[in-house]
Amino acid sequence: MDSQKNISLFKKIISIFKDTLLVIRHEFKTMFKDRGVVIMFVLAPLAYPILYCSLYMNETLIDVPIASVDYSRSKESRELLRHIDATQNVKIASTYSTLAEAKQAYNDKKVHGVIYIPADFSKKLNTGEQANVSIYCDISSFMYYRIINQACNNSIIDMNSEIQINRLNEVGITGESAKIVSNPIPYEGQILFNEGAGFASFLMPAILMLIIQQTLFLGIGMIAGTSRGENRFHVLVNSNIHRGRTIRVVIGKSICYLLMYGVWSFFILGVVPHAFNLPHIGITLDIIKFMIPYLLAVVFFSMTISVFLPHRETGMVIFLFFSLILLFLSGVSWPPSNINWFWKTFAWIFPSTHGAQGYIKINTMGADISHIRYEYVSLWIQTAVYFITTCWAYRWQIRRSYKKLSNE
Amino acid sequence: MPNNIFTATVDTLNREMKRMVGRPIYFISTVLTMAFCYVFFFTFFNEGQPNKMPIGIVDLDNSSLSRQFVRNLEATQQAQIVIYPSSHKEAREEMQRGNIYAFVEIKHNFASDAITNRRPAITFYVNDSYLIAGSLLLKDITYMSAATSIGMQRKVLRAKGIDESRIMGIIQPIVLNTHLIGNPWANYGTYLLNVILPGILQLMVILMTIFSIGVELKERTSREWLKTADDSMFAAMTGKLLPYTVIFTALGIICNMLLYKHMHYPLNSSIGWMYLATFVFVIASQAMGILFIGLTPVLRDAVTFGGVFGMLGVTFAGSTFPIEQMPVGTRIFSDFFPIHHYFNIYVNQALNGVAIHNSFVSFLLLLSFIIAPFFVYVRLKKAAINQNFPIK
Repeated sequence: MDSQKNISLFKKIISIFKDTLLVIRHEFKTMFKDRGVVIMFVLAPLAYPILYCSLYMNETLIDVPIASVDYSRSKESRELLRHIDATQNVKIASTYSTLAEAKQAYNDKKVHGVIYIPADFSKKLNTGEQANVSIYCDISSFMYYRIINQACNNSIIDMNSEIQINRLNEVGITGESAKIVSNPIPYEGQILFNEGAGFASFLMPAILMLIIQQTLFLGIGMIAGTSRGENRFHVLVNSNIHRGRTIRVVIGKSICYLLMYGVWSFFILGVVPHAFNLPHIGITLDIIKFMIPYLLAVVFFSMTISVFLPHRETGMVIFLFFSLILLFLSGVSWPPSNINWFWKTFAWIFPSTHGAQGYIKINTMGADISHIRYEYVSLWIQTAVYFITTCWAYRWQIRRSYKKLSNE
Repeated sequence: MPNNIFTATVDTLNREMKRMVGRPIYFISTVLTMAFCYVFFFTFFNEGQPNKMPIGIVDLDNSSLSRQFVRNLEATQQAQIVIYPSSHKEAREEMQRGNIYAFVEIKHNFASDAITNRRPAITFYVNDSYLIAGSLLLKDITYMSAATSIGMQRKVLRAKGIDESRIMGIIQPIVLNTHLIGNPWANYGTYLLNVILPGILQLMVILMTIFSIGVELKERTSREWLKTADDSMFAAMTGKLLPYTVIFTALGIICNMLLYKHMHYPLNSSIGWMYLATFVFVIASQAMGILFIGLTPVLRDAVTFGGVFGMLGVTFAGSTFPIEQMPVGTRIFSDFFPIHHYFNIYVNQALNGVAIHNSFVSFLLLLSFIIAPFFVYVRLKKAAINQNFPIK
């Protein structure tokens, strides 16, 4: 009696196993037969990271051209201009005799900034007064402003400390005490984690995590849309596959996507950051540990939504722009602390929000899993919730397909 | 004959409008998407600049001088002190958790060292993984530290009996005045929304152009479409795309109004030029859409390629990272994006307010996109008649 029970249980397990394998095989077949899906699942995760990394390869701006207008024409003014020109980020591309001419050059986009030294510059420096220097920065890109301001500021600070010592000497403060007075409380700002303040190092990690989610999402949407569009019953689950229970279809399909994106995660997070010299100080094991719930959450999230897409192109047309929204919701550019509660709650729904934050914290900032508990737990909660919603959604579809079958 | 074309166009137009009511996607991907984006971005960036960002203070001195410094820091616009970690290690971990974006370290004996001229240092750390937060905080904390140092200098110089008129000349011989051209508030929303929203508009125009034409090929209704247009491809195209020109131009103009009138973002020329630029920009984007569906008259492929192109638009506008600093060749590539020229018009007109003739070339280049459909005119017509391309 007992052994008979055992055998039937064994048979059942085997059959579940077989069914799941059947689903996986079927899914892989449909994936690779479909050119659109191949583009989404193979070409996009391969090409996008490389494309974006190449575009943003230069971490910072080099030799931004600015114009100088030097009314002082003195030894001091020339020294300051030489200082600025010598910086890596800015170069004085042209010299004009009036501000109006410099403005014209700016309007013609020959330069991105103007440095203006008034006529009394050297006189004031020689009489111990404060001298003024003005810069005008292009703000069409935040980068121009930051770089030009920084280069001029640093050059002036250098020059200031020289002049300071001279002036202190003049009033009788010399030697060590002049040094102390000129800088009584030295301050030093250190940049952590993205030491070069690089643009790619800041933005690319979030984009990489988004590429994983968005290609998976759009690919799964395409598969679902196609099954709906092509299946006789306009339903999602091919009728000769759903012999088992819903759960087998869901698990089979998700294993298929996970296998695929396990490989891609290795490429996108393991190879690309090294090849393009993006931050990569994270511990590999921690990244793997973190990627498991991320991929699971993305897969089940995508499978849930995909049920509602009527045609294969619909997902692309409707949801593609959302990648940009997700980039901002992930809180890399606009800091998470300053996102209002409504959008913060909204952002919580999407795996990419936690994925980008967690990945950046591990890989750019060297955090370990215990530091990113919030993101880690959130992703596991999402995995659980979206798994349940996927099962519901699929069961609803399978039932519909049965109904149509029996009606026939 | 022209009369015929006119009636054919009107017939196609009527047919298209009937189709548009029939499927939700037409409404979702035009009005609904853009409306959502307006609501999203304008509420997301309503602060203009991120203010009161969380920072930490490791105050190992806890003297009146260090507390004064902390109070000064608290008063800055960008920083808000949320925690007082007891060590560097703890502060660094708070940073790794993302709870603070910067922290300042004040060493033991800070005050007594300052008084006895031992030059105690203030060290601060900012996290540039969040580049915006990091650079803004770096600026604010540097400013506050400099102010503290200057205060100290002034005290010492006064004590030494230096004449008050000479003190500032000693402390800061050269003063730098920074002016931002056109955007005096360095508002983050300004420079971002002026490129993101047109970027999304371009993406949606391209996708909807591809979809509205491609779906005829996919569902094999293209012959009927051409028949309505009296077999004139010109009438068929005009009638079909006109509703989208109107809808997207209207949405774009609403965007201009929101940016320049509602949010009062910099507008240093007539708003009329921006309206005109928006109109030409929509047409240029439609032309690119036709090019994509003409090159691959298969809906799903064209949607994919058009989507990739549209997403790259935001990058190629040249605002986030300047095009001229990208790898060589990228600049030529960027000329093929309508948004690149639209962005140039925006910079010249709205931001810098230069004479309109400086934007003449940009307008002309935008208009020249109209040539694109002629490259695929024959191919698309053949595809519509023969229906010889796979539907999937």
